[in-house]
Amino acid sequence: MIVATTRFGNIEIPESSVYSFPEGILGFGPIKLYFIMNNPKGGPFRWLQAVEAANLAFVVCEPQMFKPDYKVRVRPEDLAGIELEKIEDGFVMVILTVPADPKEMTANLLGPIIFNPKSMKAKQIVLNEPGYTTKYRIFQQPSAAGKQPESK
Amino acid sequence: MLVLSRQKNEAIMIGDDVEITIVDIKGDKVRLGIKAPLSVPVHRREVYIEIKQANVEAAKVGTEALDGMGQFAAMLGKPADAKGVFPAAQPDPNSARPGGSTGKPK
Repeated sequence: MIVATTRFGNIEIPESSVYSFPEGILGFGPIKLYFIMNNPKGGPFRWLQAVEAANLAFVVCEPQMFKPDYKVRVRPEDLAGIELEKIEDGFVMVILTVPADPKEMTANLLGPIIFNPKSMKAKQIVLNEPGYTTKYRIFQQPSAAGKQPESK
Repeated sequence: MLVLSRQKNEAIMIGDDVEITIVDIKGDKVRLGIKAPLSVPVHRREVYIEIKQANVEAAKVGTEALDGMGQFAAMLGKPADAKGVFPAAQPDPNSARPGGSTGKPK
């Protein structure tokens, strides 16, 4: 199938790679179908592109890339809607916000997206973790700071 | 807004499927039990608003956002081999690119 996108033009994808979000994504409820694609210009980030809305896309990545201890604790009923028995059978991505200065990039750790590749269903869940924020700076590790010039 | 008085262990129905029970009342804190179909997401309002705003903000991202990310990307771990990712999605060269000024030679 061909998906029209404003960012990448028309993209041909196998129909089997389309994820259905029964509840949509908060703020974009009516849009239910998305697919994940690697960034066409490479790099570790991926795009979650809406099938039904050419201009709707998010930058996503696996949270383990920048926060290896990230945990998603969910109740079974959170996963029932996407037919997932346990979270290990699926995979998790978080949505990134990319400001003009990319090193200010933040990740939404409070609202991760759980994908079930078996049922091809996915869902954004809202965690009940006081320590997590919607604006976690992913380049805040000391190693990241060390590679940047200190002076302004 | 409809305002109803309820006591502990009493409930209200919203439509046929959503049942909200007053589980406990302590001082200014009320604990609610919510029974709703899986298709009805239930969230604390302030968290719901925060996530929604974060999503709307994130969706403003432009194509160029990830250009020049190389130096920063190197600081991250490797992406997992995620299942279900469309692997080689490349822009269709025949499609028009609105505002596309990358000037790539064909």
